[in-house]
Amino acid sequence: MSAITTSQFKTEDRWERAVPVFGFPVVTRFFLVLMALTLVALVLTGYRELAGLGPVSGMNDAFGWGIWKTFNVMVLTALGSGAFAVGIAAWVFRRKKLHALMRMALLTSFLAYASGLLLLGIDAGRPWNFYWIVFPWKWNMHSPLAEVAICMSIYAMIPLAVENLPPVLERLWYFDSRLRPGVEKMEKHLHSVFPYVIALAYLLPGMHQSSLGALMLLAGERVHPLWQSPFLPLLYVWAACFMSFGCVAGCTMLCCLVWKRAMDMDVLDEAARITCGLIYGWAALRLLDIAFREQLGTAFHFDRFAGVFWLEMLMIVGGGYLLQRSVRTHERDKMFMGYVLSSVGGMIYRFSPTTLAFRPNPQALYFPATIEVLVSLGFIAMGVAGFLFAVKKFAILPGPLYLWHDMASYFRFRRPYIRWTGYFKYGFFGEDEELTNNPHE
Amino acid sequence: MAITRRELITTIAMTGGTAAVAVTVGTGTLHAETEGPRIPSAAVGLLYDATVCIGCKACVAACAEANGETPDTRGDSLHQAPTDLNDLTRNIIKLYKPTDGTPASFVKRQCMHCLDPACAAGCPFQALHKDLESGIVYWTADKCIGCRYCTITCPYHVPRFQWVGYNPRVTKCELCSHRLAQGLKPGCTSVCPTGAVIFGPRTVLLTEGKRRIKETPGRYYKDKVYGETDNGGTQSLYLSRVPFDDLGLPELGEESVPEKTLRWQRRFYQYFALPALLYAGLVQVIRKSVKGHVEEAHEHEKETGLRAQL
Ligand code: SF4
Ligand code: SF4
Ligand code: SF4
Repeated sequence: MSAITTSQFKTEDRWERAVPVFGFPVVTRFFLVLMALTLVALVLTGYRELAGLGPVSGMNDAFGWGIWKTFNVMVLTALGSGAFAVGIAAWVFRRKKLHALMRMALLTSFLAYASGLLLLGIDAGRPWNFYWIVFPWKWNMHSPLAEVAICMSIYAMIPLAVENLPPVLERLWYFDSRLRPGVEKMEKHLHSVFPYVIALAYLLPGMHQSSLGALMLLAGERVHPLWQSPFLPLLYVWAACFMSFGCVAGCTMLCCLVWKRAMDMDVLDEAARITCGLIYGWAALRLLDIAFREQLGTAFHFDRFAGVFWLEMLMIVGGGYLLQRSVRTHERDKMFMGYVLSSVGGMIYRFSPTTLAFRPNPQALYFPATIEVLVSLGFIAMGVAGFLFAVKKFAILPGPLYLWHDMASYFRFRRPYIRWTGYFKYGFFGEDEELTNNPHE
Repeated sequence: MAITRRELITTIAMTGGTAAVAVTVGTGTLHAETEGPRIPSAAVGLLYDATVCIGCKACVAACAEANGETPDTRGDSLHQAPTDLNDLTRNIIKLYKPTDGTPASFVKRQCMHCLDPACAAGCPFQALHKDLESGIVYWTADKCIGCRYCTITCPYHVPRFQWVGYNPRVTKCELCSHRLAQGLKPGCTSVCPTGAVIFGPRTVLLTEGKRRIKETPGRYYKDKVYGETDNGGTQSLYLSRVPFDDLGLPELGEESVPEKTLRWQRRFYQYFALPALLYAGLVQVIRKSVKGHVEEAHEHEKETGLRAQL
C-alpha cells in the first residue's frame, strides 16, 4: 500500500503520453478465469434463447425486468459514461489536464456499452424484431425505451467506436512502416470529422442516460416517492457523470498500482475536484427535490426504502467528502476510497427505481436466478477481459514520458527474439532515434 | 480559451434563432394536445357493474375459448383456475374481501383500453397501438421486441409476457376484435348470466352507467363511473360499491399517466429541435477545442520527438 499513500510528486512523473502496459503477459490465470466465465455465459445464452426467459431467470409478471436490464444496462452503462462526462469536461469545458484520461474513458465506455447492448439483445424476448430500428418512421419517438434502445446502439456503433480508433491506428503506424502513409491519410480524415463525431458523442449519451431515468416515470407511484420524481432523468445523467468519473479515475489509479506506474497527482486532483463538485450538486438537487415534493418524511420511516435511501446518500456524499479531503491532503488511498464509495453508492441509486424501490404489488418478489447471475457475470467478465487485453496491446493507460522510452528499450533489449512487438519492430525504433530526447540517457 | 461557459452560451444563443422558432411552434402544438386525449370516433368498450356480478367466472372460460387459448390448468392440473391475468388469461375475476367486515366485491380485470394508453406510449416500435376508430389497443407480433416495458408501464398491470418458449407473446384483451368483425359480441359479454358486463359504444355505456347511479343513489362508490375521466378516460368502465382502489383500479387523476409523467420528455424531443440546437452549439465549441488541442499536440511532438497522440 505504500505506493498509494506516498504523496511526493516529481515533475518527471507527469502523465504526458499513453503507454501500453509492457512486460506483463496478456494470458494470465485471472484472464483465463474471465474467459471461462464468458464462455459459460455464452453457452447459457444459447439455452436461454431456446427455453425462454422464465426458466433461466427470476423475472415474473410483477418484476418484468431482471438484473440484465437493471444492472448490466442501467448501472454499468452509467459507470461507462466516462467518454461522455470526462469528454465534456475535457473538450467542452477545456479542462486540458483531463485529456490524459480520455483514452481510458473511451475504452471503458466502449466496453461497458458493448457488453450492455449485447445483453440487452439477449434480454429481449423477440430480438429479431429489432430490425425496425432501420425504419425511423416506425419508431415511437416519445417512448423512453425507444430512445434508449435506438440512441444507445447508434452511439456505441458510430461515435464511440470512431473515438476509439486513434489508439488502433497508432498501433498500425508503429507496426509496419509500409502502413504509415495509409494510416496517416486515415488519421487526417478522422481529424476533419472529429468535432462532429465528438459532439454527437455528447449529445446521444446525454439523451439516453436521461431516458434511462425517464423509463421509470411511466411506472408512476409504483416507484417509491424517494426515487420517483420528475427530475429522475436529470438525476440519472448527473449520477452517471460522477460515477463514470469515479470509474475512469479509480480504474486508472488501480492500474497504476497493479502495474507500478507513477501517478500524476495534478490530473487526479483535477478529476477529484470535478467529481466532488458533481457529487455535492447532485446530492443537493436530490434533497431539494424530495423536500419540495414534501416526501422528506418518508426518509425517516423505519423500512427498507429509507434504509436504501440513507445507504445511497451516505456512500455518495461520504465518497465526495473523501475526495474533497484527498485533494487537500494528497492522500491517494482516501481518494481511491472516495471514488469507490461514491461510485458504488451511485450504482445502488441507479439500481433502486427498477428493483429495490419498485413496488408493483405487496406480494411481488424478485431475486435473480443462478443462470441469470452467471450470464450477467459472464458479460461483465467479457468487458474486463477486453480491458486487460486492450491496455496491454494498445497505448491506453497514461504514463510519464520516461515510461515510453523504458518500453522501447524493453522491447529492444529484453525480448529481442520477438520480431514483431507491435510498437517496435526489432532493430527499428519506430521514431527517428536521433530526434527523441530521452531524459534518462 | 478559458471563459468557455460564456462562449458556450453565446454560440448556442447565436445558432438558436431558427431553432427557437421551431421549438415555439413545437410547444404550441403540444399545448393543443394537452386538452385531454381525443376520443376515437367509434369508441367501443365494456361496462362492468361489480354490484351485479355473482362471480360465476363464466366470462373467464368464455374469454379463453373465444381467443383459442388452452384452458390454464397450471394451478392444480385439473381446473381452469388462473390466479391472475397471465400469458393464457386475458380476463379474470377476482374477489376483494376485507377482513373488517365491510362489503366484499368481485372485480373483473381486463384491458381498460385507455384513451391515452401508457402501454403504447412506452412501446418502442409501436407494437401496442390504439386503433383510431374503435379505440381498441392492439398488439402486433411482428413489431414487438419482447422488452416487457408494457408490463411495467400499464397502470392497471394488464399486458402479460409469456415466460416460456423461444417465441414469446404479449397477451392482453383486444376486445375480441375478431368476433366484432363477425358481428358478434366479445366472449365475456356474450355469456354473462346477470348482465354484469355489457358491450357497446362508449357513449352509450357511459349514459347507462350514469342512469344506474341516478336510479339508485348511494349504491355506488362516490356516485361515479370509473373510467369516465380517470387516467384521461378509459373505454372499459366500472361501477362498484367498494372503493375502486381496493379493486386494483387506482385513483390516477384526470390527467393520463403518459401526459402527466412524460410532459417534459415530450417537449424536449418535439421535432428534435432542442437536441439539434444543442448539437450545433457543441460542434462550435468542440471545433475550437480540437484545433487548440491538435496544435498543442504537435508542439509536444516537436519537443519530445515522439509522435503526437490525439
Ligand atoms: S389498460 Fe394497460 S394495456 Fe390496456 S390500454 Fe391501458 S395501458 Fe394499455
Ligand atoms: S414487450 Fe412488446 S408490446 Fe410490450 S412494450 Fe415491449 S415491444 Fe411493446
Ligand atoms: S360472467 Fe358475468 S356474472 Fe359471471 S363472473 Fe363474469 S361478469 Fe361476473
